[in-house]
Amino acid sequence: MKRNYFKTVIIFIAIVGLFISAHALAAPKKLVIGHPACLSGKYAKAGEQAMGGIKACTDWVNTVYGGVLLGGKRIPLEYKYYDCESKKEAVTSLIGRLVTVNKVNVIFSPYSSGLTLRGAPVTESHQMLYMDHGGANNKIFQQGFRYIVQTIGPGSSYHEGTLDMIHHIDPKAKKVALAYEDSEFAKSVMHGAEKHAKELGFNVVFARTYPKGVTDLTPLLSALKASNPDFILGGGHFEDGQLFNRQMADLDIDTNALSLIAAATLPAFYKALTSMAEGVMGPSHWEYGVKYSAQGAQKVGLPWIGPSQDEFVALFKKALGKEMIPDYHAAEAGAQVLAYVLAVEKANSFNSDKVRAALGDLTFMSFYGGWDVDETGLQVGHSMVNVQWQMGKRVIVWPEEAQTGDPCYPLPTFAEKAKGKVAVPR
Amino acid sequence: MPNKCINEDFRMVLEQLAGNLIQGLVLGAVYGMATMGLSLIFGVLKVVNVGHGAFIMVGAFITLWLFNALGINPILAIPVAFVIGMGLGFIFYYTTMQRLIKAPELATLLATFSIGILLEEFIKLIFGSEFRGYNWVVGKIDIGITVFPMTKLYACIGSALIAALLYMWFNKTRAGSAVRSVVEDSEGARVCGVNVGGAYALSFSLGIGLTVASGVLLTMFIPVGINPYMGGGYTLKAFVIAVLGGLSSPYGAFFGGLVFGLIENGSYTIFALLPGVEPFALTRFLSFVILLVILLIKPTGILSRK
Repeated sequence: MKRNYFKTVIIFIAIVGLFISAHALAAPKKLVIGHPACLSGKYAKAGEQAMGGIKACTDWVNTVYGGVLLGGKRIPLEYKYYDCESKKEAVTSLIGRLVTVNKVNVIFSPYSSGLTLRGAPVTESHQMLYMDHGGANNKIFQQGFRYIVQTIGPGSSYHEGTLDMIHHIDPKAKKVALAYEDSEFAKSVMHGAEKHAKELGFNVVFARTYPKGVTDLTPLLSALKASNPDFILGGGHFEDGQLFNRQMADLDIDTNALSLIAAATLPAFYKALTSMAEGVMGPSHWEYGVKYSAQGAQKVGLPWIGPSQDEFVALFKKALGKEMIPDYHAAEAGAQVLAYVLAVEKANSFNSDKVRAALGDLTFMSFYGGWDVDETGLQVGHSMVNVQWQMGKRVIVWPEEAQTGDPCYPLPTFAEKAKGKVAVPR
Repeated sequence: MPNKCINEDFRMVLEQLAGNLIQGLVLGAVYGMATMGLSLIFGVLKVVNVGHGAFIMVGAFITLWLFNALGINPILAIPVAFVIGMGLGFIFYYTTMQRLIKAPELATLLATFSIGILLEEFIKLIFGSEFRGYNWVVGKIDIGITVFPMTKLYACIGSALIAALLYMWFNKTRAGSAVRSVVEDSEGARVCGVNVGGAYALSFSLGIGLTVASGVLLTMFIPVGINPYMGGGYTLKAFVIAVLGGLSSPYGAFFGGLVFGLIENGSYTIFALLPGVEPFALTRFLSFVILLVILLIKPTGILSRK
């Protein structure tokens, strides 16, 4: 009798074990991207764009590409997101929920370096692949995290193109002022800009930070004005970028060039500041009008994947149900979907370790441009462009090979702008 | 030659300091106005309105909407915002606060906190959560050491005028006297025939009206960054200013605002002289050190009579 019981238990355990292992080894019916998205709070603008980009490329993968090829079968890609309200504490809890409750296969980071960094230890603890389209701070990749891979470019390179451009078009410009938000991301941009400026022979006459959530920059800008720079680089995020430009106008701080990170490339920046935003530049990871194509990819020997630029724009509008042109936040999030799909196919697995290893070896080109990461996961294959507001439109002014128009340099004064003068190319 | 350089540097620092102090004074007047509502409500009802910043945000959105959608001058938005604010004040008083006047302090704290969140989410529902702004250009005044857009001066003058009007209302009208009597001794006022409940309702709605109107003045000073969650920073500043000026005195709050503006802007130039220091971070630090010191030395505020 006893022996029969024992036999039954052994057989039961064996059947359950077989069932579990078969279930675990079988290809899933779908792949799910999990995303703590910033749909409200201070990063809502960028968060909405990122969500649109991810939805657009997921749509393309499922309807045009035919799904993700895994184990000889094409399976659909799904997108599961929650609003993290741009709050750090929500990011950590939502990642936990996406991994344990929703059983997603990969986590896409929220917007901003601070939020991305906050989520990284959580994904590491779950041994879950963490793809970063929103955190540019180099420090994220110096912490020894194993599962993080970046699509957005590193912060240290944001203002390199702007400095190169001014060095090229105005050899007489020598004095640069740097004023950035006191955030991890903005400080990494500032350190990169300071280093590159010195390499190019510029004299950094002002280098200060201002706190997050600042509502009045007058004291800092008064000191900046006194340093009498030839041009100004700065910013942090959207809200302080708006304030920076507005209060420069209030204090009549006229300069040859002004470049603000994150804020100046968004349509809402011009909408809020109108004529005061004329001529303001911003570095961008992508801009509508860039000329990346399958033919271009072939020329440089990179495989091409994804929709064309116009197809992406159409899918983005469909995804959000709005007549809105995507910005770089959308493009980099969308390109990240493509990188994930390629890596899963390359690894022929959805296991985070295997996909992470495949991402390390992956290089490709899409509508977003090049994609390649170093051994820490830092993006090294993507080049940025510089965008300038000219006559109410965004024009790519640098690098020369990507230009859709010449730069306006020097800028009209704020008094001239108040009278209706617009930024006209040289 | 080195002496000439030192003199030149010293002159520049003095110029910057003077310019920042004047800017601070102008900003401080608006900060003061933005705190008067908080102090009035605390002074009369002994209610700490932790949703204060949300009412400022409502004022900012009223200005934005009137200017962008209807082209109405922000100066004209001040009375509109004040009336809407008073209306909101009456609604929240009779639906919520009236029942909580005698309740423990935690109940009123939670109630005003909830009202603040309610307003933020309601505005988000209508306008969305992005940061907005408007561009009202009406010229500038250059005084040599600094430049003032006229909008900032209008905001400063408007704040001073409203503070003066409130002072006159309190001291020259029967309604103002009634409210003052309730502040002094509510039971005594009731015995003398003052409608204490009415005085509470009027004070609460007046406080909210002033706060919403201050949202207009703040956007005249800083016309960008308008979003449903913008009020949090102002609530924090308002508490510092209110304590600085005397928590239950609206006029004290106005002068507290002036002092706060001067500290915030003036100290930047001084801290900037210290090598290896980020002056902006220290100005905030100093504000809260001053708050702590005042709380320790004179908890009723430096300008309060008690």
